[in-house]
Amino acid sequence: MGIGPSTKETTRHHFKDPLLELLGDDNDCRPVGVIVVGIAADYESKKYIIDRLGTWVGALKPDGAIVSMDSWGNSHIDFNLLLEKLSNMKITAVGLCFQGKQAEPVTPNSSHAVVVDTSKSPGGRETEILGENNINRQDARKALAMLKLLSN
Amino acid sequence: MSQKAEASTKRLVIKVYHVEEVKFAPESKFEGGTLFVEHENLPLSGELVPLLSRIEVDILKPGQLHREVPSILDVIPIACKVLGRLGEGITHTLTGVSTVLTLADAGGKPPAQIGSSAGFLNEKMLTDRPGTPSGRDFIILIRLNLKEGVTFSRKGIMAAHQAADDYLQKIRNQLKKIDGQAYTEKHVFEELLDHGKKKVLLIKLLPGQGAMHDFFVLPNEPCGVEGSRSIIDLGNMPVFLTPNEYRDGALRALT
Repeated sequence: MGIGPSTKETTRHHFKDPLLELLGDDNDCRPVGVIVVGIAADYESKKYIIDRLGTWVGALKPDGAIVSMDSWGNSHIDFNLLLEKLSNMKITAVGLCFQGKQAEPVTPNSSHAVVVDTSKSPGGRETEILGENNINRQDARKALAMLKLLSN
Repeated sequence: MSQKAEASTKRLVIKVYHVEEVKFAPESKFEGGTLFVEHENLPLSGELVPLLSRIEVDILKPGQLHREVPSILDVIPIACKVLGRLGEGITHTLTGVSTVLTLADAGGKPPAQIGSSAGFLNEKMLTDRPGTPSGRDFIILIRLNLKEGVTFSRKGIMAAHQAADDYLQKIRNQLKKIDGQAYTEKHVFEELLDHGKKKVLLIKLLPGQGAMHDFFVLPNEPCGVEGSRSIIDLGNMPVFLTPNEYRDGALRALT
């Protein structure tokens, strides 16, 4: 059950991903593609993979990037490494992940990137209820609005 | 549209068929708004026999979710390719029905990491979220058990997804044959290489650390298993998907 049931993105979630639905209907932006990447266990692999990903994004030269993560804990290393890399390349980016009161990033958000917290449970905890703490349409709207704001 | 723009257009057509009712039958079929699904003598394919002990299927009517389940492994849409490969051509999909896959070990114990969604479905799953069924959906509940001595290893989890995929493939095969004009909704997604909007890239970081921290990329059928590659086997390296590949069910979550 991934890290926890409430943040788990099911196959249906990917099929009906609110981030892509929103971007696909937007008047100002369009999705140029979706890069999916695995979160590895060890630090050397994390660095290697995020480095390759960053190089790829640099070559694609998008006007902006939305980075979402279905995980927390040590995975915030990958998340923050990527946001830092995008920031160094001057690519405007907004992140989304579960933080709440339980999943404070284990590494600092040194790029000071805007991150939308997808926690929705009253106590900010992993509730073991499927569908409670992952990205919904409202989170997607926030992320896209922030991206537009930062791009101007 | 200029010739150049037209040439650079890629098109995905998703035709949606609404299911009014789901019933058991000896063979899967979709007829007059009713989806018939199999529930007796469900075989497991050869390589899954050493890993899984049984496959059981229940139908839950809309709103009747007070059913005790071991941990929820996945919520899987039912969709199939009718023409072309994933991300282009024509896809048929069903609304009004969702598949929920559950898995327990031989003793009925659920797999768990930090938490488990074992319990009553109406208490352990919110409806109407992007990743969960609509509150008005029929639910096809696929319940699987591992064999005695088999643990929640990568092999066991992958076997469960494969068994569910084999079951759903029979429904997909019927869905391929239904009248292409009798859809409830039709969505056309065009990919133009250049139409002046700002280019936004989506990047999804997903677990790739083993067993229930994995996902499959680019199956033959939307949201399927067959033909896909595990991100762990791909070394967790980035995979680029076109928006149409992604919205056509390029990912199968094993998280």
